[in-house]
Amino acid sequence: MSTTGKGLSTRRGKRLAGSAAGIAAVALTLAACGGGDSGIGGGGDEPPAAAEECPCEIRFSWWGSDSRHESTQQIIDAFEAENPDITVVPDFTDWDGYWDKLATSVAAGDTPDVITQEERYISDYSTKNVLADLGALDIDTSKVDDGVLAGGQIEGTQYGIPTGINAYAFVADPELFADAGVDVPDDTTWTWEDYVTAANAVSEGAGDGVWGAQDYGFNEAGLNVMARQRGETLFTAEGELGVSEETIADFFQVSLDLMNGGGQPDAARTVEYQAAGPEGGLLGTNQGAMGAWWTNQLGALSDSSGHELELLRLPGESEGERTGMYYKPAMFYSVSADTEYPESSAKFVDFLLNSEEAAKIMLTDRGLPANIDVREAILDDLSPTDQKVADFMADIEDEIVDNPPVPPHGSAELTDIMERINTEVLFERITPQEAATQLIEEINAAIAG
Amino acid sequence: MSVIQELSRGRKSVSARRKGDGRWALLFLAPWFVGLALITAGPMGASLYLSFTDYDLLSAPQWVGLENYTRMFEDPRFVNSLGVTFTYVFVSVPLQLAAALGLALLLDKGMRGLALYRSVYYLPSLLGGSVAIAILWRQIFGADGLVNQVLALFGVQGQGWVSHPDYALGTLMALNVWTFGAPMVIFLAGLRQIPQMYYEAASIDGASRWRQFRSITVPLLTPIIFFNLVLQLIEAFQSFTRAFVVSGGNGGPSDSTLLYTLYLYLKGFGSLEMGYASAMAWFLLLIIGGMTVVNFLASKYWVFYDD
Repeated sequence: MSTTGKGLSTRRGKRLAGSAAGIAAVALTLAACGGGDSGIGGGGDEPPAAAEECPCEIRFSWWGSDSRHESTQQIIDAFEAENPDITVVPDFTDWDGYWDKLATSVAAGDTPDVITQEERYISDYSTKNVLADLGALDIDTSKVDDGVLAGGQIEGTQYGIPTGINAYAFVADPELFADAGVDVPDDTTWTWEDYVTAANAVSEGAGDGVWGAQDYGFNEAGLNVMARQRGETLFTAEGELGVSEETIADFFQVSLDLMNGGGQPDAARTVEYQAAGPEGGLLGTNQGAMGAWWTNQLGALSDSSGHELELLRLPGESEGERTGMYYKPAMFYSVSADTEYPESSAKFVDFLLNSEEAAKIMLTDRGLPANIDVREAILDDLSPTDQKVADFMADIEDEIVDNPPVPPHGSAELTDIMERINTEVLFERITPQEAATQLIEEINAAIAG
Repeated sequence: MSVIQELSRGRKSVSARRKGDGRWALLFLAPWFVGLALITAGPMGASLYLSFTDYDLLSAPQWVGLENYTRMFEDPRFVNSLGVTFTYVFVSVPLQLAAALGLALLLDKGMRGLALYRSVYYLPSLLGGSVAIAILWRQIFGADGLVNQVLALFGVQGQGWVSHPDYALGTLMALNVWTFGAPMVIFLAGLRQIPQMYYEAASIDGASRWRQFRSITVPLLTPIIFFNLVLQLIEAFQSFTRAFVVSGGNGGPSDSTLLYTLYLYLKGFGSLEMGYASAMAWFLLLIIGGMTVVNFLASKYWVFYDD
């Protein structure tokens, strides 16, 4: 009996090893056929003379939670009601599975017609000719801010249109500040040192089980803001690393100072809170007064903490030579380069981007809408938390100098690299200086590939 | 029907019947052959080819010769993952087998409710590979988890075990040891096969329990120990789910739980380096194959076959 069981699981294991190949084998055959196809189609860059023959069916892929799946389905229904000959087939998964699935379906020649993209992956896909030039399609982008729109351009070609924008910000819990007898810092003037002082003071004042801040070192966005404040940038427009070793070392030094000063939990706890997401993190569980999050996470944080949370600018905005905060495209809408129905796909993207009806269903689920008119139109429908986000985004608008370019091919590995190196720093296995050297080495290796 | 007729026809012509048998055998084996060719052999062949290429799924593979294989040894994360995997295998498998043998000996005493105990102890083997158990494990060994709550009763302030690079692999090994049910059941069957008369003779000669265990049980059980060892080693080398779930998918904290197959997965599906990942898969096959050969060669010196 048990022998059979073993045999099976061993075989399963071997299959796992060969599974990459399994997909690959199919992919090879299909890629061979597909290659010929796109060769012919590629010549015909001019739009097809005749209008597409509809009824037609396009597939739209996205990632997200159940609530996003439901609201997106409502948007699809609204689109189909307006365009009865176009059927939109939903294709959704959670974030982790999304990229595995997308890569394999592209390899199998079964690319979704309309693809949701993200900044760390869009370079990879655009350089492999998977994505269409949206500038050549009939999509109205006149209501999107140019600086935001540029976030979806790679070497001048519009491969993605931002769905909406987020900003990386500090979230503070005024109740915990009050309990600890510490004032919430003024975010227009605070420095990185003020941040360390405030966090340490909260930990001290609040007593056991409450800390000043959750470690920020796992997310490269904070590093990017710090670099930009110093006139550097994480990645240059040419796709090279543009941050100095000194800045990286300082970035890690801040979290080390916090840990040793008591302002943030010990390393093992920090790793655990990091893995627990917004709901299980320090702010979400009322155990910490500050944390660095994307603005679209304020809702989840507020819901699970039950407190009135506030958004703060990152420290150092008035300290350095310029401000570092920026708008990040939450996601992008892209169209497959070899879709059979480019016009219908474009029509759908246009609807997602410009329709008030769609925006009223979506609200801020894909970031604060990139279309400025649409953003105005939904303001009244927003929850108090989302209104807070909208206000914050409006407040920082004039301070933003520019938005960072699309990170280069290979930057998808950055998250893992940051996580690994930050952990080593927190457990004091390497110094911030060594971390800086290692980070530069690893990122360069990742983006060179 | 016709099979039965065929069989019942008696020994008319031996060679003709053999031929017939062969055809039937092929027919019945066909589904398996098709599966083997399409699901196992085909992909394996493709993966062998891909292991000599640079392939990112999105564009056609480029031939790079042995580069993927030489690159492995210059890749510090790969070398680290080898170390992690070997530690995991060579610590947890012996402990797991010891636990399995220990419990098999206890259960072999023929206590009441044996079937129940056997099932209860076998249960972890069925559940141990599942995602649910891995998530539970994360909770148990968390900073505020069950283990630390128990330790707190004794006044010990525990660590966040799964999130500390020095201990995280230990929790995975504990999980592997805990799934001792499958080898235990095999040990139980093995113990049943040892003739009772040996023990009777030994006790008449005044041999102690310990002596009986060493001189009768262990030698006669060596083929079973060997069998379990080979299977569990192979399985442990391929552990994936546990490390994936307990580490949150990246082998962390700081690569301390980066088992071989997890790194393979991260390279293949995370960085889309399918060529490199395929090369790693084939290298793993070599390691496991080599290990098994060594095991069989060494078995001459310690495995005792009673016939």
